[in-house]
Amino acid sequence: MRLTVPIRAIFGLEIRTLLRDPRTLLISVVLPIVLIPAILIAGDWIESREARASEALNFRVAVDGDRADFARSLLLRVDDGTRGVEETGPTSRFQVVDLERPREALTDGRIDVVLQALDFDTWIRGVEDGSVDPGPVEPTAELEGAPRFQILFHSDRTSSREGAQNLRRPLLDVREVRRDSILLASGFPVPTDEVLAVESINVAPPEAMEGALLGRFLTLILLGLMTLGGSAIATDTLAGEKERGTLNTLLTSAARRQEIITGKLLAIMAVAFAIALIQILNLWLFLGLEIVDVGGALAVRIPPEAALLLLVLYLPAVALVSGVLLLTSAYARSYKEAQLYLTPVLLALVLPAALPMLPGISLQSAILLVPIANLGVAVRDLLMGDIHLPSIMTAWLVTALAASWVTRRCVLAIQDENLLLGDRSQEEHTGGEGLFRRQVLVWILVLWGVKILWDFNIPVQDLRWASLLGVGLVFGLFPLVVIRRFRLEPRKALALRMPHPGVWAGVLLGVPAGILTVLGVFQLVDTVVPVPTEMMESLGQAMTPEAIPIWQLLIFVALIPGITEELTFRGVVLYGLRRRFGAVGLALMVGLIFGIFHFSLFRIPTTATLGVILTAVTLLTGSIFPAMVWHILNNALAVLASRDMLPGIDAEWLSEGVGWGWSVGGLLALLVAFAIIWRFRTPYPEVGPPRVRETVRG
Amino acid sequence: MTDPFVQTRNLTKTFYEESRGEVRAVDGVDLTCSSGEIFGLLGANGAGKTTTLRMLSTVLRPTSGEAWVMGHEVRKDPERVRGNLGFYSASTALYPKITARETLRFFAQVNRFPRERIESRIEDLIDRFGIRDFADSRVEKLSSGMKQKVSIARTVAHDPPVLIFDEPTVALDVLNAIELRQIIAALRDEGKAILFSTHIMSEAEQLCDRIAIIHQGRILAVGTLDELREATGHHYLEEIFVHFARVRDPEEAELESLRRDRP
Repeated sequence: MRLTVPIRAIFGLEIRTLLRDPRTLLISVVLPIVLIPAILIAGDWIESREARASEALNFRVAVDGDRADFARSLLLRVDDGTRGVEETGPTSRFQVVDLERPREALTDGRIDVVLQALDFDTWIRGVEDGSVDPGPVEPTAELEGAPRFQILFHSDRTSSREGAQNLRRPLLDVREVRRDSILLASGFPVPTDEVLAVESINVAPPEAMEGALLGRFLTLILLGLMTLGGSAIATDTLAGEKERGTLNTLLTSAARRQEIITGKLLAIMAVAFAIALIQILNLWLFLGLEIVDVGGALAVRIPPEAALLLLVLYLPAVALVSGVLLLTSAYARSYKEAQLYLTPVLLALVLPAALPMLPGISLQSAILLVPIANLGVAVRDLLMGDIHLPSIMTAWLVTALAASWVTRRCVLAIQDENLLLGDRSQEEHTGGEGLFRRQVLVWILVLWGVKILWDFNIPVQDLRWASLLGVGLVFGLFPLVVIRRFRLEPRKALALRMPHPGVWAGVLLGVPAGILTVLGVFQLVDTVVPVPTEMMESLGQAMTPEAIPIWQLLIFVALIPGITEELTFRGVVLYGLRRRFGAVGLALMVGLIFGIFHFSLFRIPTTATLGVILTAVTLLTGSIFPAMVWHILNNALAVLASRDMLPGIDAEWLSEGVGWGWSVGGLLALLVAFAIIWRFRTPYPEVGPPRVRETVRG
Repeated sequence: MTDPFVQTRNLTKTFYEESRGEVRAVDGVDLTCSSGEIFGLLGANGAGKTTTLRMLSTVLRPTSGEAWVMGHEVRKDPERVRGNLGFYSASTALYPKITARETLRFFAQVNRFPRERIESRIEDLIDRFGIRDFADSRVEKLSSGMKQKVSIARTVAHDPPVLIFDEPTVALDVLNAIELRQIIAALRDEGKAILFSTHIMSEAEQLCDRIAIIHQGRILAVGTLDELREATGHHYLEEIFVHFARVRDPEEAELESLRRDRP
């Protein structure tokens, strides 16, 4: 494309504005430049401080139990043995404190660890009368006679946690020495270690190792930095111009829309690129010149020609990132609104860049069609010396096409009369439903944040509590809060209408068909991004633990999520979004949102598919009830199947897939189910954007 | 007679509003504006003035009808249309971080003014609009009067034959408003075709060569002030405006006459 005078003028204007605005300059250039060295130096400082602090690691230990004397004698050996023997960790000393009530002292923090040494019989009795913690190992016949050492600690205190860790390893060592001496004494010829020597030797060339390490992270780091840097200028450009009124001036000039977008896009790209470049220099300076010592793991040598190739490879990714940022800005009506949208956008851009970090992802798969992720994998392979030119070129083209599509969307966005001139001051005052429609994305984001914070910070071991609080409370409360806050009409906001009775036939057929379809989607995902089997198994166990009776599982896994998640997603979320998209877009969007609330990356495609199905049902019937029943039955069937309680259904299917024949059959049955629902449809009201929403002005 | 610089035929714009349904903001507007003429669009807020002018500047797309600027149709050739006009309104702001001189250069460039003549053009504009003293100050540091001067200078930076002033005096104090009207009159005398919208009757009386009275999206009458006086028998533009607005709303006119007839 030719760089016309208007393009150059707009580019120049953007750069000049950036350089003259201290705030934007600070956020987009200075901050990222200072950030990495600051992190490195801070990390270095913390590390050295920790090392110093733990040099004279001294833990106070109380010994308790009927084998306390035996434990004390072992502790003396531990204290002697660890010094000089443990090369990796700092030396630790254990000061044995004699106390009357060691557990209380542990709770008070007067001691760090309690070492409880018990005879086997005492332990069993203790466990029975509740005076002793059973610990993770069940008592069995083989353990009989062996004394039991329990290390009691308080994980909320660093000294206690570390004391327990430091005590455990040498105790295991002592145990080994003791075992060997017993064996030797009873005539075993060699120490147990000598029976079979095992060694692992890394024979990979150092370049490949460095490449593998760097290749996994490079795309993520670079894209993360570029997105951060580019976002400041991007929000300022279109959204800021709308706010300041300069976009109107620009749009009445002779510059083509394409030229305006190109000029601005180039400016964002330039800033993003400059920041990435500065960061690389930064890293090189700090690591290469060993100003900060990070142990050589990141010190990588890249020959100039490879660096050039990397630059070319990253070009469409930079264009795509910049385009998405610009598009975000184009859709926002003000600076503030643009900033609001940025967080989810940043996440969406950075997630595919993180894919190369997952093990087992090959470029010769469907990942080739995922923009950014494909380039990330290509770069990783390239750095490991694995060059497959056709794949790399395809990856480049796919991302470049995505970038050009986004650019086109930007051009359309600044021609969109709604986005340009929409005057919403009236809605602002009337509040209620219109206000909710505008703020719905923010509320979804907030809910997502709450859910993330909840799931990652409040560890609830028992599935029943997790379901009741993490699902029932969160998704049950959200619609209530929203309805109250915006004074919505519950019947409309939650789609509490009765559907045509004929719909239920479609639902009954649809549930099993939907499960097969979703399993098919899972298989499809599995071929692109292989899902580790252990992960699926642990997920299955987490979902349907053996210890919980089946009727409770049905309540906590099927009924509660089925009702509350529907109230949130097919209730208020769908209601709030209904004007933003047409029916198809709405089904996809609400489905996707439903998917991303199930944080595990591997579950997103499948839950999103279920979400799309449930949204489609709600849109066709105008009622939340079919989706609710569908959701409950869906989860219930999955629970029953996992317990092998459905005749003719193999529990393995859930973790290993059903085979393509079943999935395709399921899909066809699903289509029939939808045909039935279509036949008796009573569509969801007011779907899709009104043609033009501008308030008329003179 | 030469072709008019601006011409519209049956220009219409409909919006959809949730509360009111389909709204015809501009309804079959026909107008012309020739070189050396100030054509006034007079109407209350919401009458359709801004929508008409935004369609002429190609920011909004007409729902139906046609409009030409210097012979270029707004939908078929929007870039040429915009290249031939300068658009000034209270909502067309300036970039705060660049200087007055940079502003003029920027708008000359994006409007494709011949490159070799840009610098001399900037100097001319700086002299003509009295910008010299603050030409190298950033726009954000200027007073509102100074900004107004820079704004007009940037509107004519590329020397367009057609100028659109959409309620230009709305946010100005009296002195600045008078100065702006003088500048607009001077631009007319240079042969520009000027479209001028306002809801202030006195302003239209003073400045406009021809006036179109626009009400609820329709042009109710067009003519010189004298022609309008003759047609209605009223002297003041305000009375003329009310006269036409009543004719447009027969129900309201009837009510009015009923009220008048009551003893």
